[in-house]
Amino acid sequence: MAAITYKNASCIYEGSDKLAVDSLSLDIQDGEFVVLVGPSGSGKSTALRMLAGLEDIDEGAIEIGGKDMTGVPSKDRDIAMVFQNYALYPNKTVAENMGFALKLRGISADERRKKVEEAAKILDLTEFLDRKPAKLSGGQRQRVAMGRAIVREPQVFCMDEPLSNLDAKLRVQTRTQIAALQRRLGTTTVYVTHDQVEAMTMGDRVAVLRFGKLQQFASPNELYDRPANAFVAGFIGSPAMNLVKLPVTADGVKIGDSTLELERDDLTKLSNAGLSEVMFGIRPEQLELTDSGGVEVVVDLVEDLGSEAYVYTHAGSGVELVARCNPRTAPRLADSVRLRRHPEGVVHLFHPDTGERIN
Amino acid sequence: MTVTADTEADASQLAVAERVRKIREAQGAGVSRAEGWRRRGPLLPALIFMIVVTQIPFLFTLYYSTLSWNLVRPGSRQFVGLNNYIAVVKDSQFWTVALNTVVLIVVVVLVSAFLGLLLALLLDRAFLGRGVVRTLLITPFLVTPVAAALIWKTTILDATNGILNWVLSLVGIDKVDWIGQFPLTMVMVVLIWQWTPFMMLLILAGLQSMPRDILEAGRVDGAGAVQLFRELTLPHLRRFIELGVVLGAIYLVNTFDTIYMMTQGGPGIASANLPFYIYQRAFLGFDMGQAAAYAVVVVIFTMIIASFALRLIFKSFSGKEEAA
Amino acid sequence: MTTTVEKSTTTTAPAVASKKKSRKFSPWGVVAWLVGLGFFFPVFWMVLTAFKQEGDAATSPPKLFFTPTLDQFSAVFDKGIGPAMLNSLFATGVSTILVLLLGTPAAFALSLRPVRKTQDALFFFMSTKMLPIVAAILPLYVIVSNIGLLDNIWALVILYTSMNLPIAVWMMRSFFLEVPGELLEAASLDGASLWRSVREVILPLVSPGIAATALICVIFAWNEFFFAVNLTAVNAQTMPVYLVGFIAGEGQYWAVLSAAATMAALPVILCGWFAQNKLVRGLSFGAIK
Repeated sequence: MAAITYKNASCIYEGSDKLAVDSLSLDIQDGEFVVLVGPSGSGKSTALRMLAGLEDIDEGAIEIGGKDMTGVPSKDRDIAMVFQNYALYPNKTVAENMGFALKLRGISADERRKKVEEAAKILDLTEFLDRKPAKLSGGQRQRVAMGRAIVREPQVFCMDEPLSNLDAKLRVQTRTQIAALQRRLGTTTVYVTHDQVEAMTMGDRVAVLRFGKLQQFASPNELYDRPANAFVAGFIGSPAMNLVKLPVTADGVKIGDSTLELERDDLTKLSNAGLSEVMFGIRPEQLELTDSGGVEVVVDLVEDLGSEAYVYTHAGSGVELVARCNPRTAPRLADSVRLRRHPEGVVHLFHPDTGERIN
Repeated sequence: MTVTADTEADASQLAVAERVRKIREAQGAGVSRAEGWRRRGPLLPALIFMIVVTQIPFLFTLYYSTLSWNLVRPGSRQFVGLNNYIAVVKDSQFWTVALNTVVLIVVVVLVSAFLGLLLALLLDRAFLGRGVVRTLLITPFLVTPVAAALIWKTTILDATNGILNWVLSLVGIDKVDWIGQFPLTMVMVVLIWQWTPFMMLLILAGLQSMPRDILEAGRVDGAGAVQLFRELTLPHLRRFIELGVVLGAIYLVNTFDTIYMMTQGGPGIASANLPFYIYQRAFLGFDMGQAAAYAVVVVIFTMIIASFALRLIFKSFSGKEEAA
Repeated sequence: MTTTVEKSTTTTAPAVASKKKSRKFSPWGVVAWLVGLGFFFPVFWMVLTAFKQEGDAATSPPKLFFTPTLDQFSAVFDKGIGPAMLNSLFATGVSTILVLLLGTPAAFALSLRPVRKTQDALFFFMSTKMLPIVAAILPLYVIVSNIGLLDNIWALVILYTSMNLPIAVWMMRSFFLEVPGELLEAASLDGASLWRSVREVILPLVSPGIAATALICVIFAWNEFFFAVNLTAVNAQTMPVYLVGFIAGEGQYWAVLSAAATMAALPVILCGWFAQNKLVRGLSFGAIK
């Protein structure tokens, strides 16, 4: 177990002039489960590989347990990694795969066998110990990859999209297993994924990355309730937050012909910033159907998910809004309805150009 | 996200590139040099071995080509500059032989590639005993060239008792002295016989590495068998055919065994290729200097053609890693 | 980064096609059989003739049925095929081992831990193959006789190594390239030094490829004639040279020549047959598994 610190770490793309990771700074506590999330090309995998020593740290530094890892080769970092494609040794049995690191450390065969069997029990792999990876299913292989990491009892777990090759149902199952396992073992874990649902459900804290730069590093709740910029706002949450650029009026923002009212504080901040336009964000569940007041919209599509329904609409000026509603009382296509902000609904305001949070 | 971010993005891109440059400078050459040697290490023994065994003799050949030197007359070595080369140019036989060489390589490579393609297509489908047929088909490639040439020359192509003439006599064609009348062609036939399996295996590899779903998509789109072949299969096979052609050509440049065994280059020089011709000059005529000059000329021509060929392999095969 | 350790289930089509052992009768199958037999015929005839008496060998029409005899083979053996066989075995075996020893690290350096000038090195290796060997034979003859290796099997060993090394490096490199990079990374994270990861993880994976390469080297080395005929005389002659010597002595005796030819060609033919899959794999640079 150890704390991890990224200090302005950067990594250059091989053979190019672009930075894969740009001055990343993160303070990860000992025992914490941190998720690095972002779209493809955001540098999250690279950041993880820098930690593991598989990519060079071109600028800045990374510390594990207070020790600078610059120049320290992977094999000396005491990190275990679960690869996206598992990277199991094809010519070794499951037991040999899991025991390899221990063998390299010179641990006796008996001791190895014991530890491997322990880990196998936790992961339900005991009956597969003598099989080779080719004879295992995807889910089983994934567990062997985890087992290989656990057996080593390292300082840090690195996981690079370990669930992305599993089918949906298995993914949900394994997700909870991994989270429970980490809590039980208490090992500091850095987990990379592009799936924001995984990030939100598994992480103690989540770091959102985009084009190599850190957007926000906070707990899932914080990310959901107070995204630091428009990108994070649009990335976290499904269906995505409604984000539209709207003109500012004296009382609020103009959608179509109607005005959606804003709080005093928010209006003050807007006028202080001298903005005539704002990137307005509101989550679908913060919008509700109403009979009077609010904004007039036309229904384009209704998605009925059984427990809830989402109504896709557009307002007169072309602004598109998604709102959540009760599936039993959902409107129909081409209906004209009115949407208003939920009484306790939170509104997010972002700068129209930089995307930074204003309120 | 917003349109105005574009110009900002350009400016920031430049800033990033500048930072990258600074970082790379700061990293310096020291560490990477040691790593460079560590990586080069395993390569060195093989590299040095090849340089010593192949390049040094060639340098000697260059040197010899400037001498007039006959092995049988010791002490006759003397420097004659480029006289040998002038003799090469003046030698009308040389050009005939050069033509033979080119014809031989081109015909053998193209015909065996074509036949190899047909055979590969045949073998691509499953049928009873496919494995056995494949075994039968690769055998010519395995047979020692001198043995193969011998068998063809005697039991098959012989004018009086050869099988070919016997078969032809069954359909009323008179006996032909194959080797006497068509020496170069016969050499080419044997070479084609030996190299077709090689081409077939390469192209078969190409056929079997082709994803079937593309063909299925084509069929659904309404393409017939010929169109599927022409539009989808053939382009995919191109890389493999190219590789076969280049590798085959490399080996065929040095054809010697077959000619030695079947025709000894004759009659006259009708079926001699450059290696055989040079061999005659050197080991039968013992005229080292002259032979060396021939050899150098051959090397120069080969290198010119080879550099085109090598670029071709590299171009088509640097993509191999991702595709295959 | 998307490399798979095992055959992913998405590429089912080729895998399924080759697993299906269709015992259906197919007209193309018949054509294939005919062609196969046709190609094989000269070899078949060679072996057949080897069992004939001389009188039965060179006849027109050619005889398919006759009383077989082993006389030709004993004649061949009597003439001393033993030393030639041993020489061939030695030259082939030792040169192949050398090729593997020199070539495997080189292929490794050119694939898994790429040297900066990888393309150049590859280019160089292949270009050595392109130089007509006839250009080297002259000085080689002089050099070899000067250092007293004329008619010595070691000269052939060295030359065969240099002859096969480029192709071997090329082939083994393609096999190394098939190893997913992640395996090396996983091994290094597990604490393995480079040497250890090569030994325990990489080599087992590429060993079929190395075997295929070795087989190709054996074929080319055994069948080599040019260097052998020019640089050896009596002591170090290899099988191809021995065969030629047979002809000069025996003239038009087809049966015994066939027997000698069979003996010369048989080892490699058998090798190729038994290790057929490896051969195919090697020749297609691993594209057919």
